[in-house]
Amino acid sequence: MKKRFVAGLLGVALVAGLAVGCQKQETKEEGKESYEIGISQFAEHGSLDNCREGFLAGLKKEGIVEGENLTVQYKNGQADMGVVSQISDGFVSGKVDMVCAIATPSAQSAYNAAMDTDIPVVYTAVTDPVAAELSDADGNGVGEVTGTSDQLPVKEQLEMIREILPKAKTIGIMYTTSEANSVAAIEEYKELAPEFDFEIKEVGVNNTSEVALATETLLTGIDCVSNLTDNTVVASLPGILDKANAKNIPVFGSEIEQVKIGCLAAQGIDYIALGEQTGVMAAKILKGEEKASGIPFETISEPGFYVNLEVSKNLDIKISNELMDTAVESFESIEVK
Amino acid sequence: MSFLISILEQGLIYGILGLGVYITYKILDFPDLTVDGSFPLGAAVTALLITKGVNPFVTLPIAFLVGMCAGAVTGLIHVKAKVRDLLSGIIMMTALWSVNLYIAGTSNVPLFSQNSIFKGNALVEALPKGIKPYATLLIIFVIAAVSKVLLDLYLKTKSGLLLRGVGDNDVLVTSLAKDQGNVKILGLAISNGLVALAGCIFAQEERLFEISMGTGSMVIGLASVIIGTSLLKKLTFIKATLAVFAGSIIYKACVAVALAKFDPKAKNFITAILFLVVLVLSMDRKAKVKKNA
Repeated sequence: MKKRFVAGLLGVALVAGLAVGCQKQETKEEGKESYEIGISQFAEHGSLDNCREGFLAGLKKEGIVEGENLTVQYKNGQADMGVVSQISDGFVSGKVDMVCAIATPSAQSAYNAAMDTDIPVVYTAVTDPVAAELSDADGNGVGEVTGTSDQLPVKEQLEMIREILPKAKTIGIMYTTSEANSVAAIEEYKELAPEFDFEIKEVGVNNTSEVALATETLLTGIDCVSNLTDNTVVASLPGILDKANAKNIPVFGSEIEQVKIGCLAAQGIDYIALGEQTGVMAAKILKGEEKASGIPFETISEPGFYVNLEVSKNLDIKISNELMDTAVESFESIEVK
Repeated sequence: MSFLISILEQGLIYGILGLGVYITYKILDFPDLTVDGSFPLGAAVTALLITKGVNPFVTLPIAFLVGMCAGAVTGLIHVKAKVRDLLSGIIMMTALWSVNLYIAGTSNVPLFSQNSIFKGNALVEALPKGIKPYATLLIIFVIAAVSKVLLDLYLKTKSGLLLRGVGDNDVLVTSLAKDQGNVKILGLAISNGLVALAGCIFAQEERLFEISMGTGSMVIGLASVIIGTSLLKKLTFIKATLAVFAGSIIYKACVAVALAKFDPKAKNFITAILFLVVLVLSMDRKAKVKKNA
């Protein structure tokens, strides 16, 4: 009897939770000076977290501060498309002032849900907004949607690798077959590699469990590794670095965090800066100064050169003074997380 | 209101997937992991056909047929090559990942600018204005209802009865001089046809094909079947096929509550707790029945 009572009570709690869940979505504070935004982040992941952090910092710069005149609903899809879709629907039915979507699937889902409403969608960390059909070929949004792209500066990266390793021939790259961003980057690498006299060896994985095995394949017959912003591979990067270090193979990164944890160098992106750029765009739209459809998507203006000096010492690779002068940031030691 | 509509839409789509899992898991007693591959298979086929300009409604039967082929192959691997049930599913699921990539061409195909069964066709345009906001839900409901009724009718035919026989008492089927292997293959085919149909609808509703969309769909299907059938066990006038839809809607409602009310990190934990609650509730019912008996 007691058990039944407890179970019944929990059941009531479930229904009540659902009801309150609806209610909370339906009610919204009135008043033009405060905003409510929903952040839909595709997965739990360092670079994407940085985007979010930068985004809020960008809004703050424009005077929209969380806790003061900004309410943020942050949801994480945990890389599950069904959940991502429910998050988007939740934001739209809750009539938030704006949806900020981080990473391609979230952006597409948010735009799909908000398409028939006037809720603007601002995305970041979408590598190719044109291929994702969020933007037309001229860079203008297909609806009330705009944002920033994290397209990799592949040409600059290849140039840098050539300069650091004049004798290198083959570059190994690992990527996940399910990530459109990575597949697009690989294509670009292959296209540009002959220009710098490189060959590309690609190794594709389907999920994290395959990374360890694929690392062995990757590290045979190559001179160096270049790492993309591939979510699965980046999450397993420490293990790849370990194995590469054991074989004295340099690994180049694609963003600041990767260099911090032990990649030799990168011509890369700073996701916090990217997020900030996005936040400033979002503030303009929230304040009504511009419409999302009126702002073309932006890419990060200049890739930065990042270098890790401890790694260069370990591998006994000299970085020329000229290159060092261009460094945005150099790290003296490998950060252990 | 739109919060509830979203739950119903998602619940009904995954309910169709649940019907497929119901056939394999409950009727055939076959834990079929092909589902994780055949759900995106339906979506990939849909993305390919729609971008090629095929009428969106035509994609529904085609996705169903392609799904059936995938299920039949799982069946063949199991029955003819004598591979264990779980393993045959795993083999197909793994192979379908690549097949899906080849069909769709890439891992992410947006369908924003294309027509779908929910947008830009004569049927939706013809709906009266008051109903238009519910058009998506309505269309999903009709497809779900048709799938359910057809499956119910099929299970009453001779072939359907044999299918149920294989799961309950395979010796009987053999004694009727019927090959239970063929029946199994047919069951798996129908099951995966339904799953691919769900994938087809999901892709059109989301206007997107994404290779990873199938990951974990087997679990959702299983949860829907178990929640639905055990919760509504006592209500004997409710058919199991209807209970599957109820289970799927409850599942999606649990996820929605966890999403709306809790820290994102805790989401899966809360979802798990909510399932437990639902199952404990249903277990209590069983105990009560026993005591009364």
